[in-house]
Amino acid sequence: MNRLHKGSRSVKMQHTFSGVLIVVVLTLGGCATTGDVAHQTVVSNTDPYENMNRKIFGFNDSVDNYVAKPVSTAYKWITPQFMQTGVFNFFNNLKNVNVVINDVLQAKFSQGAEDTGRFAINSTIGLGGLVDVAKHVGLEQNEEDFDQTLAVWGVPQGSYLVLPILGPSTARGIPGAVFDTAANPVTYIGMPVQLLSMLNARASAEGALKFIDEAALDPYVFTRESFLQWRNNLATDGKAEASFDIDDFENESLDGDNSASFADANTDKPGIALRLDEKTQKIEQVSSSFSSVTQSFDATAKSFEEAGNKLDKLETLKRRR
Amino acid sequence: MILKKMKLAVVFMFVLFGAMNAFALDEGDATAKQVVEEFQSELIDVMKDGKKLGYAGRYEKLKNPVSNSHELTKIARIVVGKEWEKLSEEQQQKLVDVFSQLSIASYAHNFKDYSGESFVFDSEEETTRGGVVVHSHLLIPGDKPVKFDYMLKEKGNSWRIINIIANGVSDLALKRSEYTTILQREGFDVLITKINEKINNYSKQ
Repeated sequence: MNRLHKGSRSVKMQHTFSGVLIVVVLTLGGCATTGDVAHQTVVSNTDPYENMNRKIFGFNDSVDNYVAKPVSTAYKWITPQFMQTGVFNFFNNLKNVNVVINDVLQAKFSQGAEDTGRFAINSTIGLGGLVDVAKHVGLEQNEEDFDQTLAVWGVPQGSYLVLPILGPSTARGIPGAVFDTAANPVTYIGMPVQLLSMLNARASAEGALKFIDEAALDPYVFTRESFLQWRNNLATDGKAEASFDIDDFENESLDGDNSASFADANTDKPGIALRLDEKTQKIEQVSSSFSSVTQSFDATAKSFEEAGNKLDKLETLKRRR
Repeated sequence: MILKKMKLAVVFMFVLFGAMNAFALDEGDATAKQVVEEFQSELIDVMKDGKKLGYAGRYEKLKNPVSNSHELTKIARIVVGKEWEKLSEEQQQKLVDVFSQLSIASYAHNFKDYSGESFVFDSEEETTRGGVVVHSHLLIPGDKPVKFDYMLKEKGNSWRIINIIANGVSDLALKRSEYTTILQREGFDVLITKINEKINNYSKQ
């Protein structure tokens, strides 16, 4: 009994140890590969949970069709354009608190100063953010968030995940979204404002959603690829495309690639998910639910456990030798 | 004396202008940058007349510029990846045909009106294996500019567009994932049906 107990404790210890080890490896790896996050996109290996993702995608699509889209259409119909723009600017301005934090975390100090100025100008002269004055002074809105910061630090993107209601994300995006939510003042204001924030996000995603609907042959794949490429482009500040050579495609198409394994046969009906607004990057604002927090913890725990198992296997292999 | 000089200058200018004209007309010698810029100016022209032309008019007007500047056959081949080899010759031809139509249709649909947009050339660079990337951006009044990077390959003695990357999203990679997925999950006929559906939808709006 005692021995058994001891055994399980040592396994636990090992897990903790391997967890720490992984963090160290990640950090070290990050030092070596900073700025080289480009090569992980556009491989179906990034989507091992495609079956489940497609189901959630379909669910999100129905939610969007029956709830979010009608509400958003009504909002757009009754609200005058200048008010819609004001609402958009207001939430966009609040996001800049998070942008500045992430500027600093990514050591982009001059951009951080600019974004601080942007926030200050719009919060004062811009009537609390309702008017985007800074844009006319030449201070464009920058897109920074904690997911990008993690990318800059060298954390790999991980698997592509479609979250219920919240839409496309990655394993790295979940802790990122948790942080972004915490750093967004909207989170602390209360329910009616948060609802308006969600409404605004859906309304301003209208164009992107329409484009996907028109252009996509397979909306799920279209959304996945454009989301991953777009996130990658943001994380590398547009430097990723340089590595994108046609020759890679040609070689692949000649040699044949084994990247894709689409096992499931159930055809997905075309449609769009509620939170496909990757073009408007509002995912962070809506992610104020506890589910994403617990999910991220679960994912982290699971990945540590998996890594622990791998290390265990390695050790037994070693012992056998 | 001065008059003679002026005459000479005028003659010289005419010659130069003529040479430039001939140069522009001779597509065989067009550089990658010229191919892109010519296509972009055609696109802006169509946008300016967009409402008047209607969808059918825009399609007709864009048909040649798109086919002449894009390497549509090769794009169609790359887009289906290794599945290309599994297709019969008729299927390959069919795919190239509908794909070309889709490409023109999506231009005709998405560039339908004009509100002061303009393309600006940024830079040009050579890739490792003889390709050229032309970096440019589309200025939209009152909106953020959109980055357009064109990848070109030499075909014969002219350059052809093979991929367009808009704000970091590669059209070729996107289509490739979609097309190979559909081919693997649902097969060739469904792919063609879906493409035709898209062309049809584009033509309605």
